[in-house]
Amino acid sequence: MNLVRSELLKIRTTNTWWVFGLISLPLWALTALINWLQTDALASGNFGDVPADQADQVTAAQSVDSLAANIYTNGQFFGLLIVMLLGIIVVTSEFFHQTVTTTFLTVPHRTAVMTAKLVAAAVLAMLFWLVTTGLNLVLGVLVLNSVDLGSQLGNGAVWTATALNALAYLLWSVLGVGIGVLIRSQIGATVTGILLYLGGSIGAAIAISILAARWGEWINNLQVLVPSLASSLMVSGTQIPGNPPRWTGAAVLIGYAVVTGVIGTLTMRRRDIS
Amino acid sequence: MSDGQRSPTTGSGQIVVSGLTKQYKNVRAVDNLSFTVEPGRVTGFLGPNGAGKTTTLRMLLNLVTPTGGTATIGGQRYADLTDPLRHVGAVLEASSAHKGRTGINHLRVICAAAGLPKSRADEALALVGLTPAAKRKFKGYSLGMKQRLGIAAAMLGDPRVLILDEPANGLDPEGIRWMRGFLKGLAHEGRTVLVSSHLLSEMQLLADDVVIIAAGKLVRQGPVEQVLGSMAQGGGRVRVRTPQADELVAALRAQSATVETGEHGVLLVTGADAPAIGKAALAAGVELHELTPERPDLERVFLELTAGKAGIR
Repeated sequence: MNLVRSELLKIRTTNTWWVFGLISLPLWALTALINWLQTDALASGNFGDVPADQADQVTAAQSVDSLAANIYTNGQFFGLLIVMLLGIIVVTSEFFHQTVTTTFLTVPHRTAVMTAKLVAAAVLAMLFWLVTTGLNLVLGVLVLNSVDLGSQLGNGAVWTATALNALAYLLWSVLGVGIGVLIRSQIGATVTGILLYLGGSIGAAIAISILAARWGEWINNLQVLVPSLASSLMVSGTQIPGNPPRWTGAAVLIGYAVVTGVIGTLTMRRRDIS
Repeated sequence: MSDGQRSPTTGSGQIVVSGLTKQYKNVRAVDNLSFTVEPGRVTGFLGPNGAGKTTTLRMLLNLVTPTGGTATIGGQRYADLTDPLRHVGAVLEASSAHKGRTGINHLRVICAAAGLPKSRADEALALVGLTPAAKRKFKGYSLGMKQRLGIAAAMLGDPRVLILDEPANGLDPEGIRWMRGFLKGLAHEGRTVLVSSHLLSEMQLLADDVVIIAAGKLVRQGPVEQVLGSMAQGGGRVRVRTPQADELVAALRAQSATVETGEHGVLLVTGADAPAIGKAALAAGVELHELTPERPDLERVFLELTAGKAGIR
């Protein structure tokens, strides 16, 4: 507990948290705008001809559950990126500023230190989720009322999506810590993390669609192995036809978080600090 | 804490290094090294750059895993100490704080992790005279202030063992003087103080004991005087100045002392100490203008001991 307090104090006593908070706000506003336009378009059904083979997906996306879940988890795309970067910084700043020596002198039990870092990163992630969700509750009510769908706050799908959104924030922060341990360089880890999150999903989506064209449709299901796609699957408000079940996304993401967390901790236990 | 009224803590503050070895891929940085460090004394840990001093200290502090051997503080490995900061304070590198964090917050973070009260941060800062800079960010600190902050961090738990790696690095003469007084004071209170350095002249003023290593191996260990005394070369020589050189030389040679003539007519006498020379001069009725026993200095001893074992391997 002392250790977690110390880790949180480390973050509080630098400008990291408010810089990240400041970055998050405009990004949240940007996605809010996009989601509002999208909700408006989907709800009015006013977006021209839909190819027959995509009709099912569009219908699913048009469902009230999906629209509501989407708007109440607004900001997720960048939010997850931000908490992952925070997780990375929780570890790499120790190496960047050479404070890791002091940290391990203070507490030689490195597993305890790493656990505290994971918990601290998770606490931060939850704070970001909490603030974002608070903003989303205001935004969602406004947007959904504007398209005459009502607030949907009594809808179970909304709260499932919100909870899964929390899980996503949690898991990405843990992933960040794992990446930070494996790549000690602050810049290296940050770039890798961003590539994994952004480039990874786009690149993998392209690669998989090419492979699918060659080897058959089933390969599309492998998309779920890409972390960012797994998390977006996990929090998609409803089951979209043609997608793997949502729980696989959660399973894959938990798997990644556990693996990076454990490997990170074990690596740190053995490493010479010089 | 520096009032000298420190109650003896359980267990001694003795540091015991035994058969310590660290093998990196191609280099044996520390090679079967054994020595002990006693409480109540300042022990200088000396060696040329690259001799393995830092690696040894880091193994002692559980930061680097030894390939073989053990290192204990008060009979326990560092990793096994409960509340390590209450037993051992270490200053390893001056630049180890987050650049954007204030000095006081740096210490508070450590207090939080160690379960020490927040007030210790203020006390430790006052102890090293950094209170005026408490709320300044670390990046604005001078090298000397950084070094002081490192010492403040080491003193947070009021430890009985202090370990410092090259603390004089980058300090100005005033800072070095402060450091010397501070460390001597701590040893005087009964604490164990282990200080690594390659600055020998500084060690001669500071250390009671020395441990000298080169190429990862122990070269010599013991009280400074003893290590100096063991080096007969240069030891026991006395500089003498007199207007009646011939008479004095004759008198001294009669006592089977050896006399050489140095520059400007200085006589360099070996085989007789200063009192003996003074007595001989008085007996012979010779006037003396200078009578100075030459102290063998640590630097020369060190260079002789570590000759050919320089750090480049």
